This record gives sequence, C-alpha cells and structure tokens, in this order.
Amino acid sequence: MTMSEHDKIRELLALAAADALTSAEEKQVAEHVRSCIACSNELEAWRPIASELRRLPTPQPASWLVQATLARAEAKLSVQAEHDWNRRVMIVVVAFAWLLTIATWPVFHFVSGRFGTLLEPQFSHTQFGQTWFSHTSISFAAFTALGWIAGGVAAVMLAIRQRGERRLA
Amino acid sequence: MRLFWALIRITSMVGADALSLEGLVAVDADVVRLRRGDPNALSELITRYQNRLYRYLLRIVREPAEADDLFQQTWLRVVEKIRSFDASRNFDAWLFTLARNLAIDHLRRIRPQSLDEPLANSWHSETVADRIPCKDHTPLDHALAAERRTEISEAMAGLPMMYREVLTLRFEDEMKIEEIAQVTAVPVSTAKSRLRRSLEQLRYALEARYPGGTWQ
Repeated sequence: MTMSEHDKIRELLALAAADALTSAEEKQVAEHVRSCIACSNELEAWRPIASELRRLPTPQPASWLVQATLARAEAKLSVQAEHDWNRRVMIVVVAFAWLLTIATWPVFHFVSGRFGTLLEPQFSHTQFGQTWFSHTSISFAAFTALGWIAGGVAAVMLAIRQRGERRLA
Repeated sequence: MRLFWALIRITSMVGADALSLEGLVAVDADVVRLRRGDPNALSELITRYQNRLYRYLLRIVREPAEADDLFQQTWLRVVEKIRSFDASRNFDAWLFTLARNLAIDHLRRIRPQSLDEPLANSWHSETVADRIPCKDHTPLDHALAAERRTEISEAMAGLPMMYREVLTLRFEDEMKIEEIAQVTAVPVSTAKSRLRRSLEQLRYALEARYPGGTWQ
C-alpha cells in the first residue's frame, strides 16, 4: 500500500463513520483498515462522534406554533381555492359574454330596424383614416364595447364589495 | 444461533423497508390531495414533518423565535408552491429546499455575518423524554450521555451554517448524500466533501474544548 493510497483512505474515514460512502469505497476502506492499525484507530475515533450526532435531542415546535401554522396555511389554501374558483367563473363568464354578444346582435339589429344591412355589409361605409368600415361593423363594435364596459363595471363593483366583506370577516 | 439472529435481522430490515415505503406512499397521497386543495392533507403533512422541519430550521438559525417564524413561512410557501411541485421528485428534499431558501434569505437580511460566524448562545435543548432515565443504564451513564450530547451540540453550534446544515441533514434527518446535494443545491461531490469537512471541524472543535478526548 503506497502512502498516497493510505492518505486517500484516511480522508474517507470520517465519511465511513457517517455511512456516506459508496459500496466500492466502503470495501476499499474495510480492506485497508484490516491491515492498517493507524487507520483502524482513526476510524474508531470517528465512531463516537457519528454516534452522538445521531442521538442529539430533537427540539420540537410548540403546539401553539403548529396550530397557528395550520390555521394560517388553511386560510391561505381557502383563499387560493377561492381565487381558482373566481378564475374558472371568469373564463366561463367571458365565453358566455362572447356568445351572448354574438347571439343578441341580430336581435339588436332587428329591433333597431336595420336587419337588412346585416345581410349586406357593404351597404354603407365610414372612413377612419385610410380604412373604410361598414356601419354594421361599427355598430357591432359599439354594441360589444357597451356590453363589455357594463360587465367590467359590474365585476369591479363585485370585487370591491367582496373585499369589504373579507375585511369585515 | 447465528442463523436465527440473521433471520431476525432480515425480518426487521424488511419490516423497516415496508414501513418506510408505506410512509412514502402516504406522503405522496397527501401531496396529491394537497395539490387538489384538501386541508386535511395539509394537516397530515404538517404533523408528519413538524419535528424534522423545526429541528432543521433551528439548527440553521439557532434562535427559537426565528425558527418559529420560518416554520410558519415554510408551510405558507408550501401551500403557495405545491402546484409547481414535480410529483416525480422527492417531497422531503423539496420541502427542505424551500425551508433552506427562506432561512438563508432571513439570515442574509437579519445578520449576514451569521452564515459563517458562530453564536455565543447554544441552541441545545433537552426534551422531556431525554430526562426520563432508561432502566438499562445507571444514572451515571445517563448523566454522562447527556453531558456528551451537550458538549457535541455546543461544538456543533459553533460551526458555520453550511456545516451545521449538512450535519443535521445527514445525522438527524438521515438523508442520503444525493438528497443533501439536492436540498443544498450543490453537486454530490461537493455535498460529500462538505460533510467530511464539517465532521473534521466538529472534531477539532471538540478536541479544542476538551483536550485529551475527555468528551468521549
């Protein structure tokens, strides 16, 4: 056994006591220790340290701390669940709003007495800059915008009310 | 007779493996339930990990009040991030990584020098169970064992944070080197050399405090 190999094994002894060697390293150490008294003694010197480290008392969290943590974490979990629900509802509402807008447009158009232009989009035009827009398109955009603004205002009012309720709770 | 003891050993090893496998399955099931927003799963996980997590945080920050705060913050972070947790990963390593990041941020903010410097006060604490005398040992044995634990924990408290951390993960949480590497975000070889250096530092500290190996 050369000196460098001896030193290499010696570096592994602390890890051997910590059971942190690979099986090949373990085998190498075991073989060396059998023939080297100095390393055998060194390994024995490491063992009580490792053993005492494994037996250190475990400090435990106070029961109030565990209860308080659980309460706070559960509250956060329920807020997250509420946010998820709101997100899902928002997606459904947006999809529904689009459908409603498209579905009610012919009715609106019919009531406003201009049902015919729906079938003839080129009936009349207005110029914005270099682009020409049919009156039907402009009316539809205005109708959609009006619907979205009304929906947005309702959503903001609902959110403000919910926040107020949460503060009171 | 030797065969009998070998059989006993194998049976107990199989039993221990079965128990640890059962524990892993239970953790996985709780994690899946928590991802769905089940508060009971959260309660199960906190109960299961409370002692290990608290001990780890206390070993890092050494101040019980700070460990209390970080304990709460860690679980709040778990709730916040559980959906981004990759179920194929080890939950233990993920949880301890979250706790570690919070603890290190806290130490950097509160007392940056504490990442390397020891504190004057020891974090050593003794549980009620430690005070109950074991019938297999004499009161003298018990007193000596308690004294050794105090000495070793005081010496450990004097080590830099990264050494205390690796010692607690290996010896108290019984994590493998690969898991320690995962938690501390370093390569396996670094985790291994850090463990070796921490043991060497601890031994030097003990020998300096108690020359002639009187602590053993």
